[in-house]
Amino acid sequence: MTKHVNKIFWIALLAFLLAYPILFGAYYTNVVVIFGVMSLFALTVNLLLGFTGLLSFGHAMFFGVGAYATALSLTHIEGLPLLVAILIGIASSAAFALLLCPMLVRASGTAFTMLTLAFSMLMYTLSLKLRDITGGEDGIGGFNIPDLSLPGVFSIEMTDPLNFYYFALVVILASMWALWFLTKTPFGTVIIAIRDNAMRVNYMGYKVTHTKALVIVVSSSFAGVAGAVYALFQNLVSSDGVFGPMMSFAPIIMTVIGGVGSFFGPIWGSGILMLLEEVVTIFTERFSLVSGIVLVMVVMFAPMGVVGMMRIGKAKWLLRRQNS
Amino acid sequence: MDSMTAVYIAQGLHGLAYGMLLFLVASGLTLIFGMMGILNIAHASFFMLSAYFCYQVVHTTGSFWLGLLIAPVATAGIGVLVERFMLRRLRAFGHVGELLVTVGLVLIILESVQFFWGTESLALPPPEIIGGMVSIAGINYPVYRLFVIAMSLMVLIILFLILFKTRVGMIVRAAVNDADMVNALGINIPLVFSLVFAAGTWMAGIAGVAIAPIITVFPGLADQIGMDAFLVVITGGFGSLGGAFLVSLIFGFLTSYGIQFVSTLAPVLMFIFMAIVLIIKPMGLFGERE
Repeated sequence: MTKHVNKIFWIALLAFLLAYPILFGAYYTNVVVIFGVMSLFALTVNLLLGFTGLLSFGHAMFFGVGAYATALSLTHIEGLPLLVAILIGIASSAAFALLLCPMLVRASGTAFTMLTLAFSMLMYTLSLKLRDITGGEDGIGGFNIPDLSLPGVFSIEMTDPLNFYYFALVVILASMWALWFLTKTPFGTVIIAIRDNAMRVNYMGYKVTHTKALVIVVSSSFAGVAGAVYALFQNLVSSDGVFGPMMSFAPIIMTVIGGVGSFFGPIWGSGILMLLEEVVTIFTERFSLVSGIVLVMVVMFAPMGVVGMMRIGKAKWLLRRQNS
Repeated sequence: MDSMTAVYIAQGLHGLAYGMLLFLVASGLTLIFGMMGILNIAHASFFMLSAYFCYQVVHTTGSFWLGLLIAPVATAGIGVLVERFMLRRLRAFGHVGELLVTVGLVLIILESVQFFWGTESLALPPPEIIGGMVSIAGINYPVYRLFVIAMSLMVLIILFLILFKTRVGMIVRAAVNDADMVNALGINIPLVFSLVFAAGTWMAGIAGVAIAPIITVFPGLADQIGMDAFLVVITGGFGSLGGAFLVSLIFGFLTSYGIQFVSTLAPVLMFIFMAIVLIIKPMGLFGERE
């Protein structure tokens, strides 16, 4: 019964997303692309925070490395295919994460958080200072966006917003599905076990540091996917846009609002936060103030987030129905 | 004396002044971390808030000294409220909640400051007595920076005397080691936590007031020193005051001489230093635990 309901729900959601640009027009289509990018980004943060128990305050660095690598490769390499550019972005993020791993995996708890914050500030500073490569505050913009093509078979123009919407949809949904699948594999079980009791996992014969390194690399690779799509969508990559502290805090806020540890929580959170932004900016420019207050309120009074509250509500409802 | 030596000495004094201020901020951070396990991301925001409070006091009463007295105390008051009504409630649920609340505070303080005082730089001139230049061994050097060095040194001496010569200091040092044990011995640890949090934010507040006349008051005031203070805590070892002191001074000199020799990459030097230390000693220079 529930399996059927689930199936119908997913098909309906997919149909809605496919028909979305036709129903709502260009502006809201762009909003959905950003929503997708941020949701995927928040999911990668939650893979570390909710599933492995590692709070990363510097996930913007992986997002940013992916975005900059994609933008730089498209600027400097003539005739680079689209998918190769995205793969370069992902590979750069993964390589960067691998580079940091020797330092990151030995730390846990607050030390891990501080290290990620420090390294992301390093990347932010570097992106501002290495003007020749990154363009400083101005960033890199106006690079050529190649068509999605298989030589001789088909070629789809990516500068068309509608085509790009469908392309981004496929990339983001595929990445989300891959992340979801990962949490269902034995590997997913091991990382949850590390969150709950790392020492015990170690005694059971699993290599905690190796597993942590792997999950960090996976998480940052998908953050790189989000960054690459973001770079292609905006056609502009700047230090404040991708490496700024707010870029690290936003996915954390989304994850916390949605519900830490629940897989789909961050998507809820990112939807709620973006909706809030749309509403708040009508009244005031101080959206950060509102998101700060919301973050404090959620942590203080609803630490399980929206998904947690829904679960509690559902349990209460079931209980009441049972009693009556 | 040739001009090159003069520049070296001037930069050295700059570095000393910055290093001392950095230690005022970092010592509060590392003490709070050592005792409560909270990494107060909003620590630098308190630093900035204090500078704005001081600007307001100077603007209203015209007295810098009054600002120096009131602003850090007001900041410490807000710090105590935050500790009492937010962090204390979350302590039972682990550190992630506390970290996230301090992130929320960063946003709230930053936006509130812009709401009340605007985004432009506000000039806060030092008082006349310490406003001029003084000639040391043939170099003209601003008196105010010497005053900053002297004042920081004074605060540090008071801090060390309290920590190492009084009963309260003994309790604090014991609590840094093992808060639960001290609590079990019948000492009111929540009160000690509040006191340490107040002292930490007070010192950050002093540093905020001290730096305001040098670089004016603006919303990005805390960006540089806040980041540097976190790096100091990581590099010096979490909870280690000695480590924080040594690394603060090293960072002060790295900043001042770095700007002179490799101007564009100066901010990166500290990260390189941190990375080298962490590769050799993952717990930091004097760190004994995570």
